[in-house]
Amino acid sequence: MTDTATSIPLILMTALSAAAATLAVRRLRAARPQEQRPNTSPTQHLLVGLIAVGCITLLLLRWLLLWESWEPLHAHVDGLLLMCASFAGAVLYIQTRPKLRGLAAFALPLLTLMLAWAICASLWTYRPFRLDTLEPAWLVFHTTSTYLGLLCCALGAIGGAMYLYVQGRLKSKHAVPGRLASLETLETLIIRAATLGFVLLTLSLVSGVVLVTRGEGTALGIEWWVSPKVILATLAWAVYALLMNIRHASAFRGRRAAWLAIFGLVLLLATYGIVGAMDKQTGTIDTASSLKRASDTDRGGD
Amino acid sequence: MRILMVGLNHRTADVAAREALAFDDAGVAGLLSQLRERFPMSEGVVLSTCNRTELYIARPVHAAPSAEEVRSLLAERGGLAPEVLASTTLLREQEQAALHLFHVCAGLDSMVLGEPQVQGQVRKAYELAQSHGLVGPVLHRLFRGALAAGKEARNRTGIDAGRTSVSSVAVAFARNIFDHFTDKKVAVIGAGEMIKGAAHALLREDPQALWIVNRSPGRARQLAQSVSPDGARPVAMRSWDDLDTVLVEADIVVSCTGANEPVVSADRFRPLLKRRRNRPLFLVDMAVPRDIDPAIGGLSNVYLYNLDDLQQAVGVTTDERHAQREQCEAILHERCARCMGEIRHRDLGKLVQQLRARLNDIADQEQQRTQRKLAAQGVVNERHDAVIREHNHRLINKILHLPLSQLDRNDPNAPVGFYAAALRRLFDLDDEPTVPGEGEGSEAGSDRQDAS
Repeated sequence: MTDTATSIPLILMTALSAAAATLAVRRLRAARPQEQRPNTSPTQHLLVGLIAVGCITLLLLRWLLLWESWEPLHAHVDGLLLMCASFAGAVLYIQTRPKLRGLAAFALPLLTLMLAWAICASLWTYRPFRLDTLEPAWLVFHTTSTYLGLLCCALGAIGGAMYLYVQGRLKSKHAVPGRLASLETLETLIIRAATLGFVLLTLSLVSGVVLVTRGEGTALGIEWWVSPKVILATLAWAVYALLMNIRHASAFRGRRAAWLAIFGLVLLLATYGIVGAMDKQTGTIDTASSLKRASDTDRGGD
Repeated sequence: MRILMVGLNHRTADVAAREALAFDDAGVAGLLSQLRERFPMSEGVVLSTCNRTELYIARPVHAAPSAEEVRSLLAERGGLAPEVLASTTLLREQEQAALHLFHVCAGLDSMVLGEPQVQGQVRKAYELAQSHGLVGPVLHRLFRGALAAGKEARNRTGIDAGRTSVSSVAVAFARNIFDHFTDKKVAVIGAGEMIKGAAHALLREDPQALWIVNRSPGRARQLAQSVSPDGARPVAMRSWDDLDTVLVEADIVVSCTGANEPVVSADRFRPLLKRRRNRPLFLVDMAVPRDIDPAIGGLSNVYLYNLDDLQQAVGVTTDERHAQREQCEAILHERCARCMGEIRHRDLGKLVQQLRARLNDIADQEQQRTQRKLAAQGVVNERHDAVIREHNHRLINKILHLPLSQLDRNDPNAPVGFYAAALRRLFDLDDEPTVPGEGEGSEAGSDRQDAS
């Protein structure tokens, strides 16, 4: 029942997002060089606003319907809803900023993919978090910082994708359609997104380490620090550490920074993929299960 | 007189071909001297700008040079094989040649529609040819008319309003790279008219600094005073030896010098990239021949645009101005037709004079023969002479009446040129030899102010 109640609005919102993305891309393609008309239409604003409100409403509804504890995120789909709501809010902001002209055309397809991912997470790969742990605060901290960190990295990646597009047009001496965000603005966006993403990923890593060490690292194996998940997460963290200092590490400026932003997101998605693979083995999310084992051990100790 | 235009421009030839035929003032002077030596009967003006090299010739109908001869002369001066030029040169004759010049003056044939700088370049080419004694009555009327029509078309249609110079297009393009200019350092290399326009356009964006780099410090100083007369703008001169440092520190560089070799070669620039710490650099090369090695454009974080690239970028802007273009064309067509009418009118006046003179000569000869015969018969006297002269006069007038009425100058559809050529051929009349600098040619000098 809950799956259906979640999936149907999600499918509707995915359709709305796809429509908004189509509008944005068509608008971008139809723009003439140096044209200064607004980078978005009222319809596009409305669609994205509906998605943002829809995601938040759905997240709250799920929280109330599945009330188990004070934690708002019960499952992976809730994390994705939080991310989609925040991302839709970010797109709304982007659409109102003249300096970020055209970025919505790159962001909205990604929002559509996120919503589609949320449908999958709701219908076929539903993964509830284990909330009956001794460390719910750490778990909430970990999951929230992870999803919001991923959101920042996604913003950096769309900045990178647009940078590559604009730079490619400029290098090939083709006129840029419309007046898109400048390369300087996009580089600033990548750096800011990477900086925020780095902070959130740091929090996520630290909280993850706390959770794993409290659970004696059994979910990720005895040598959890060399597990693929930790290695990939650390590698992504390092990429963002480099990206936020790109103006000092000048060898990575420009095109390389854009590719790094995209590579960082791919690394994070790969880390999530590994989480999913591990969950299939353990049945629940790793940190939760390890904490459960830790709590069992504690109780046994009592 | 026949009007001929042979040349190439940014529509017919790429930068490489235009480079070969780009002449500086000395080169134009040399070409004008050569024209005068080889074709003394002709008038000629050489227009050589970044985007075009065009020769405007006015010559007697059956005299040299032909289009092929002009093309050969150009090929010779440019060090090219004539067959290379054959595919890239543009040939226009008579009304088409005149209309082309009118379009050029109004900026309709420019890379950026309505560009005002070309007007000054045409005037300069006209004055240079005039100083070499190569402007006669035909080209004088043509150029004077074209310059005036160009000015009128701009004023009436506003086609030159807004972003219509190459410089301002370059600035608009820079906005794809830089968000704002207030923290950007801009350098201009050269001190000519194009650079002056670029400096003005860039200063409007309020950059942190604008540096002028030129081989001649005097001209750089003049330019600095011109763009910032009160010294309020952040304009500074940098020495030519300082060019490498300027290339390291600047964010935008616009170059337009008269150098025949690249001022900034790839070998020179490559080591500077590291010193720049990979900051983006926007380079605009307005010069022909090019000042900046095209290989530099392939380096990372460097965006190099030459005139052709900017043309590609402004193509759509040109489309948007379609309506203004149509208005302009209507004005130019009308003015061109009027100008050609004046030229033809003058040609016909000369033709009628020549024809009448020829018939008078024949009549005089026949009168003398008749007088000799009558004298032999002892019947001639002064009264008879007057009667015979009057008779001849009437006869000539009656003979000329029909052909001259056919040369109806007010009928635009009348094949006047054909009739005029036929009359010349039938009565064996020479086409009017031009003596530039004399007669009406001197009128050109007095009217120079009008044209400007």
